[in-house]
Amino acid sequence: MNRLVIEGLEAGYGAVSVLRGISIEVRQGELVALLGTNGNGKSTLLNAILGFVRPTAGRVVLEWDGQTIDLTGAPPHRIVDAGIALVPEGRRLAPNLTVEENLLLAGSGRRARRDARRNLGFCFETFPILKERRAQRAATMSGGQQQMLAIARALMTSPRIVLIDEPSLGLAPIAVTQVIATIRSLQATQNLTIVIAEQSVVQAIDISARAYVLAHGSILRTFARGDSAADLDDIRRAMLGVGESRRPTEAAQ
Amino acid sequence: MFLEILINAVATGLLLGSIYAALALGLAVTFGILHIPNIAHPVFVVLGAYLAVVANERGWDPILAALAGALPFYLLGALFYEFYARVFERRGEADTMQALTLFFGVSLVVETALVLKFGTNQQTVDVDYVGQSLRIGLLVMPYRLLVPALVAPVMILTLWAYLKFTYAGIAIRAAAHDVRALQVSGVDPHWIKRHAFGIASVTALVAGAILVIIGPVDPFSGRLQIGRAFAVVILAGMGAVPGTILAAFIIGVAESLVSAFLNPSWSPGVAFLILLATLALKPQGLFGASR
Repeated sequence: MNRLVIEGLEAGYGAVSVLRGISIEVRQGELVALLGTNGNGKSTLLNAILGFVRPTAGRVVLEWDGQTIDLTGAPPHRIVDAGIALVPEGRRLAPNLTVEENLLLAGSGRRARRDARRNLGFCFETFPILKERRAQRAATMSGGQQQMLAIARALMTSPRIVLIDEPSLGLAPIAVTQVIATIRSLQATQNLTIVIAEQSVVQAIDISARAYVLAHGSILRTFARGDSAADLDDIRRAMLGVGESRRPTEAAQ
Repeated sequence: MFLEILINAVATGLLLGSIYAALALGLAVTFGILHIPNIAHPVFVVLGAYLAVVANERGWDPILAALAGALPFYLLGALFYEFYARVFERRGEADTMQALTLFFGVSLVVETALVLKFGTNQQTVDVDYVGQSLRIGLLVMPYRLLVPALVAPVMILTLWAYLKFTYAGIAIRAAAHDVRALQVSGVDPHWIKRHAFGIASVTALVAGAILVIIGPVDPFSGRLQIGRAFAVVILAGMGAVPGTILAAFIIGVAESLVSAFLNPSWSPGVAFLILLATLALKPQGLFGASR
């Protein structure tokens, strides 16, 4: 089975430890949500998977097409090349490059280069606005368009798994709806595997098969779609860290 | 008479400008694009000039010698960046002051090495076209300026096309602004910067070959060029590679006019005046994006 396995991952910044033994699994074709309020380690987890933050313990392993690739502590470009793409918080586009150059750059990796033409065609088809503005500098685009460019850039790396950090952050509500709809349709039509970190519960839970709630750097709860416990209020309480007090039996276990 | 002086002063200025552009081109990459203030660039130019001199003693044309030496100089530049990166960037953000000190130190080491090997004598090359001139009406253009001045635009166009149309070129242009943009694109920023330094070093070699055709070179010739090279890059605007040539034309013509109509001894100050004026009035340069 093709999947990304994270086992007992611990990471932090200097003396401050942020992630405390995170274990999650993402299977091919799944859309998984990481929920949690700010400062609970969502971005750190994504950055640790991508190699921007060096894990101090635990493993990140990609099992794909019969290969098992240990990505723990590898440099980011190697991890992207292995097939994990990140749509980072704040998008991190190259502002001085044009839309097309941003996409071509992401298509220049060793593995992605083979499919660069096809991927570019697919991106322009999925996001017609990017085709229209291909010669425009990335910095001059609106926030929603930049978010689409960041997603398209991730697609250019021929990803096996796409990690999306707070796609709704700083966007107008209409742009959020559009971005979420795009993510959902990509997952459905392309059988993409997506991990999405979000604070806005409604949108994330709506489209995901499974949701992990992160609090203080640990996985507090796991919800699956169709889980009777997975009503929104329950998830919200879990995110705020009051989940246990309401369910004493579960906490006791 | 006045017209003749004016025409020739402008023509000489354009020729000089073209050569200044070649001298500054490597700096337009390392400083203009990567924002690394490589004041050791001119000493690499002088090193390139010495390579041309040594090759010329064996009967090579200086410019052909520069093309032949491109690969070793690429590796030298890459090694130089590797050294810089090991010393600074791995430990976190490079501090500009410390970096300047390192580059200054490298300049001194290279200069001293050249003195030890070749002495302080001025070195020249022997090529057929030096000493002759092209005459068109009132215009007199010495070949020792004309030939180098034709090499520079070719080199700049080549570099521009490389930066514009290749994956590595696009990555180099992205490197200055956001290293993470490169990383999420699956590109190794360290590799890209090292590559850029290698390319800058090759341009220094070509510029060195040009420099020694124009006139004699000694181990300290680079020092005269530091201010001028930075002036060209800043006037063009950070990262504006094709703009380098126009900026260099402006500085070349200004120097030449000052030389012709005021006093030749003032001309080295012209580049600095333009540099200061640019920083005061238009800090983003002629073609740079405002930051």
